[in-house]
Amino acid sequence: MTTQTDVRTRTFVQALNEALDLSMDAYPEMFLIGEDIGAMGGDFGVTKRLWQKYGGDRVRDTPLSEAAIVGTCVGAAMVGMRPVAEIMFADFLGECFDQLVNNAAKMHYMFDGQFTASIVVRTASGGGFGGGPHHSQSVEGWFLNVPGLVVVGPTTPADAKGLLISSIENDNPVLFLEHKGLYRTKGEVPEGMYRTPLRSAAVARPGTDVTVVAAMRMVNESLEAAEILSGNGIDIEVIDLRTIKPYDADTLIESVKRTGRAVVVNEAPRTGGLASELSATISEECFRDLKAPVTRVAAVDAPIPFSLELEKHILPGRDDIVKAVKRTMAG
Amino acid sequence: MVVHVDKLLSLYRDMWVIRAFEQGLEREFQKGNVPGMLHTGLGQEATQSALAAHLTATDAFFPDHRCHGINALAQERHAGNGRKIMAELFGRATGVCSGKGGSLHSADPAVGNYGDNAVEGSYMATVLGVALAYQLRAEPSVACCIIGDGTVGRGEFHESLNLAAIWNLPVLYACVNNGYAISTPVAEAHASGDTVDLVRGYGITCAQVDGNDIEAAYEAVATALEEIRAGNGPYFLEFKTWRWQGIFAGEFRPPDEVKHWKEDRDPIKLARARLLEIGEVDEEELEHIKAEVEAEIEGWIQFAMKSPMPDPAKATADVYVGWEVAGK
Repeated sequence: MTTQTDVRTRTFVQALNEALDLSMDAYPEMFLIGEDIGAMGGDFGVTKRLWQKYGGDRVRDTPLSEAAIVGTCVGAAMVGMRPVAEIMFADFLGECFDQLVNNAAKMHYMFDGQFTASIVVRTASGGGFGGGPHHSQSVEGWFLNVPGLVVVGPTTPADAKGLLISSIENDNPVLFLEHKGLYRTKGEVPEGMYRTPLRSAAVARPGTDVTVVAAMRMVNESLEAAEILSGNGIDIEVIDLRTIKPYDADTLIESVKRTGRAVVVNEAPRTGGLASELSATISEECFRDLKAPVTRVAAVDAPIPFSLELEKHILPGRDDIVKAVKRTMAG
Repeated sequence: MVVHVDKLLSLYRDMWVIRAFEQGLEREFQKGNVPGMLHTGLGQEATQSALAAHLTATDAFFPDHRCHGINALAQERHAGNGRKIMAELFGRATGVCSGKGGSLHSADPAVGNYGDNAVEGSYMATVLGVALAYQLRAEPSVACCIIGDGTVGRGEFHESLNLAAIWNLPVLYACVNNGYAISTPVAEAHASGDTVDLVRGYGITCAQVDGNDIEAAYEAVATALEEIRAGNGPYFLEFKTWRWQGIFAGEFRPPDEVKHWKEDRDPIKLARARLLEIGEVDEEELEHIKAEVEAEIEGWIQFAMKSPMPDPAKATADVYVGWEVAGK
């Protein structure tokens, strides 16, 4: 995976910042664009010090114009640039939905391969911190039905860096989801340029009894659930999808065939989302190996309320995963 | 006017290319030979011919849904194969996008055609990126987007003008104001029926021109491109014109209005009268140009109809760069 061996402890935000810095240095055709990403360094500090280092032409601040931000990226990519946009909150993607869905995702196909939309749209997603209805959503489900788009969602700081570099180097349009609840988490991050492959899930924790599939913050919730469950003699395998679309079905299927039980976890609303999609694939591919029905753990089909006391009744978490696994074991 | 008679004759011919193209296409559409929907550029030949005459293969233009004509002219001028636009509209393998784009998504960057996006206004955001790349790389090219009056209502219209202005981008906004967005009159739908009124606040240089006067349109495009290439930032050029096509099959506009535009303000008739007034060509020569163009376009239609359908493998090709997608 990497030729560099110097591994340091870094936060998720620092890891992303390193990926951008190294890539900006390596690729003169790359530029960053978004709201308050310049002197301020972005709402969450992901672009910190890059404006000072690379200047305003390549680290470009914009007004509140999400459609123009993504459209600018697509147009620049049509003539060989490699732009990376920051959309401050994933909830704002509605403002540039057309650019992502009708423009970036279809350009290569509908113009018969004459253009590529080699763009990355980074955005802060997810809840659990009292952000309320318009700063907390998990939007991956909105984009599952969009052929041509790649959706990536890292969990660890090391993968955040490696996946972002892979996304920048990839010639497809990538929606890169950064869970706000992970920004301050720390982990070992190798130095220098390295790539975490796209479309490749990771086994975050090997286990034998139940396969639990998740992405982003829900991977960490699943790992916490694993600790509790191991006290009850249940050994779960946790799979971190890393690339949400197109996802690595092979790793998933191999694991479920081995364990015979599956719980799929997603922070987004239950209906028609990632959990439903994964559940359908497991049912189609592993039906004869299943010892119990596939169980979904997802958010309630409701908006996300502001009060933390209310929010916890909407979003899924560790305890919901523990319950679902136990039910699966009983079934 | 200062347009040389030779140039005027060549523009006259270009306008006939567009008219014959659209009329031939309309005929074949009615026979059921052209799938999908059809929006023609009939009546707007002067604006498209003027733009096509000045844009080079190293500029970029984003056509709108009535731009078969400029697409064909660019293809013919820079690659000698205007018929590939016709084939694309018939959904054939020999089309510019192998039949995957059709009327609303024909593109060929080799001739400067960066493709229509059928969500009107969407490419007003895209054009910024092309222009920004030109600016960052210090290239002399211009990025042009051809929009209609209906696009004024889109948010991208305002986002685009604002950013092009503050970044001083080399963008030519060519607004074809034909009076109606499908059935909605422009003056009823927007704060002003003159689009330039809405643009001036962004500090962008604006001009309005009679879109049915080929000489005026030709000169206006020349001036706009000179300004942009001199580094003076974006330029908004509004062509006042009228489209011949009603709503799909029907006509909804008052008979007097239809008569006025089709009979008194037909850009080809006006150019013809002007050429005869100058007197260096006679009616016979003008008829000959028309007949020659019509025969050529019939050849394009025959080429399209005889061309093979796309290979079925194309249906799942190029969804992703480098990754396969499973078929049915």
